[in-house]
Amino acid sequence: MKILLVEDNERVSQFVIKGLQEAGHTTDHAGNGRDGMFLAASEPYDVIIMDRMLPGDIDGLAIIEVLRKAGKSTPILILSALSEVDDRIRGLRSGGDDYLTKPFAFGELLARLDALHRRAHGVNHEIPLTVGNLHLDPMTRKVSRGDRQITLQPREFKLLEYLMRHADQVVTRTMLLENVWDYHFDPQTNVVDVHISKLRQKIDAEFERPLLRTVRNAGYMVTAAE
Amino acid sequence: MIRSSAVSLALGYVVLGLLALVLFAAPLWYAWEGTIRAGRVEILQADAQRLTDIYRRDGVDGLKNFIDARINMQIAGDRILLLTDASRRPLAGNLAAWPNVPAVPGDYRIQIDMGERGMQAALLHVASLGRYNLLVGRDNRLFAPLERRFWYGLTGAITVLFIAGLLIGLITRRALMSRVDSIRQTISAIIHGDLKHRLPTHLSDDELNTLSRIINGMLDQIELLVHGVRNVSNSIAHDLRTPLAELRSRLEELALIRPSSEETFVEIDGAVADVDRVIRIFDALLRLAEIDAGMRRSGFVAVDVADLASTAVEFYAPAAELKDIALTFHSNGPTTVAGDPVLLAQALSNLIDNALKFAPENGMIGVAVLRRADGAVQIAVADNGPGITDPEKTKVVERFYRGDASRGTPGVGLGLSLVQAVAKLHGSALELFDGTPGDGNRGLRVVLTIFPESAPGTPAGSGKAAAEPPSLPGVAATTS
Repeated sequence: MKILLVEDNERVSQFVIKGLQEAGHTTDHAGNGRDGMFLAASEPYDVIIMDRMLPGDIDGLAIIEVLRKAGKSTPILILSALSEVDDRIRGLRSGGDDYLTKPFAFGELLARLDALHRRAHGVNHEIPLTVGNLHLDPMTRKVSRGDRQITLQPREFKLLEYLMRHADQVVTRTMLLENVWDYHFDPQTNVVDVHISKLRQKIDAEFERPLLRTVRNAGYMVTAAE
Repeated sequence: MIRSSAVSLALGYVVLGLLALVLFAAPLWYAWEGTIRAGRVEILQADAQRLTDIYRRDGVDGLKNFIDARINMQIAGDRILLLTDASRRPLAGNLAAWPNVPAVPGDYRIQIDMGERGMQAALLHVASLGRYNLLVGRDNRLFAPLERRFWYGLTGAITVLFIAGLLIGLITRRALMSRVDSIRQTISAIIHGDLKHRLPTHLSDDELNTLSRIINGMLDQIELLVHGVRNVSNSIAHDLRTPLAELRSRLEELALIRPSSEETFVEIDGAVADVDRVIRIFDALLRLAEIDAGMRRSGFVAVDVADLASTAVEFYAPAAELKDIALTFHSNGPTTVAGDPVLLAQALSNLIDNALKFAPENGMIGVAVLRRADGAVQIAVADNGPGITDPEKTKVVERFYRGDASRGTPGVGLGLSLVQAVAKLHGSALELFDGTPGDGNRGLRVVLTIFPESAPGTPAGSGKAAAEPPSLPGVAATTS
């Protein structure tokens, strides 16, 4: 992915750029709003990471609004130290696609960037999903692995659907809370893990190769890879 | 001293009293002046007329004789008579010289020298008898004491009024000052940090007492808040200290031992987890502050509480299963309220999370969302855990209080505080009751009542009304 990072904090920038590089992405960096605006408007990027508060007279939200008005639909992830719900809503309303509060875990950032990138390429909600020999049909709501039908509760179905839509990508607990349960807060419990292990029981227990894997310090991934 | 409100008030009353006195005395004075003087002038004119008649009948000598006879037989010494020729030389009478009045017929009022009787205020009537001038008058000796008494009385009244007013002002000031002083002393003690002090109050209902009571109420509230803040600081300090201490020793040990890279990574992961704990505590505190500021009211939309509750129950169901806890949900039809879906979901999640923490293995948790007959929506979460003793019930709802039972349990310790803040934001009350006692456990039922927008309930009032809430089937079924 080609990523633009607009962030004034030197340390955070280095940390993010290095991390993205290790994950195989190329990153351009702008340290202020003016450069950020210029790069975002002139270069094609897959995803833009935008700090909300920037030095100078142009802040992150203003850049996003200008880009959107100019017809740029590049997915944008807003990075902010403002954690209040209203700030989040304001950020998304200005045209941002996702919102991450500082301090953040790099895994969380990477997972969200992947999700944004994939979403930007269009999601067809009708096409059946397949990972290895696991099939999920959003239309008939049927799930099967190999030749065995699997019965899932509605929420388990939603959980699996989300994981499979992001197959081969890390999905964090927060992403699951937000997208499966619509919980935009931290319930401060490990209940998501319990849900995952229940789901794992149903789709993986009797098969040799597990598809639903735990990624240490990051989240989960559904993948057929070795 | 003029600045003292008591003294200036008293002075104000004195001025008012003086005004009343003047208003009372002035008409009296005019009545005196008008009627008495007019009467005396009439008498003088009649007198002059009689003397004029004598002059016409007996000539100037006859008049002279008459006047001499009059003066000689005069008993009351207040009569003034003088007959002069055209050049105002006295011919007869008891005045040595023509006084300082024109020799033009009319009535005059002057000070006149009466010889051995001294200066006297006098009323004079001058009449012209051909070539002669006649002066008839009365001095005011008879009336002077009366007049004097009037003025003395008035001055006396004014003096008494003034002194009494001043005295009362000073006494009131003293009394007030002594009370104000005791208030001042109490307050300065409070300013210096001792919040235990309260203003002295008496049984009476006077203004100062009422004020003192109000201030005492305020002090109670402030003490509570300060206590709360102190508790917060303590619990923040405590909660942050633990992960920070762990983090510190972890890093220090790492630098000291320099273990293999694999072990180092494990330690670093641990350090990140420690930092995450610190961040979570901060997030919870920020969230609480945000709700407390009441800013989220603008985000109110129509929310189906039962929907949120069933999602929350479903979310926690696997966790309940792990502990073999029966987690049930009950609702009766539409339970839509105006509210903040995110915060209500978080409150519900906190309540269920709490219940899960405290319910015993094989325990029961009942969640019920019911629309009451009056339109209010009642959320109840009940468990059969150890419950909360009555004295503690009021405290756990207080800001930042950590119950004894919650010590050592995971979590930030702000769970119920957040629920309380969310409840308050929705104009609702958070109430705690004993659950239906089961196996020796007190149990706990947390009830949150949200009133429809058209008739916002006052938490204070509803507290009484809902003191014994209607039995909640969903809860009763699981706790009995």
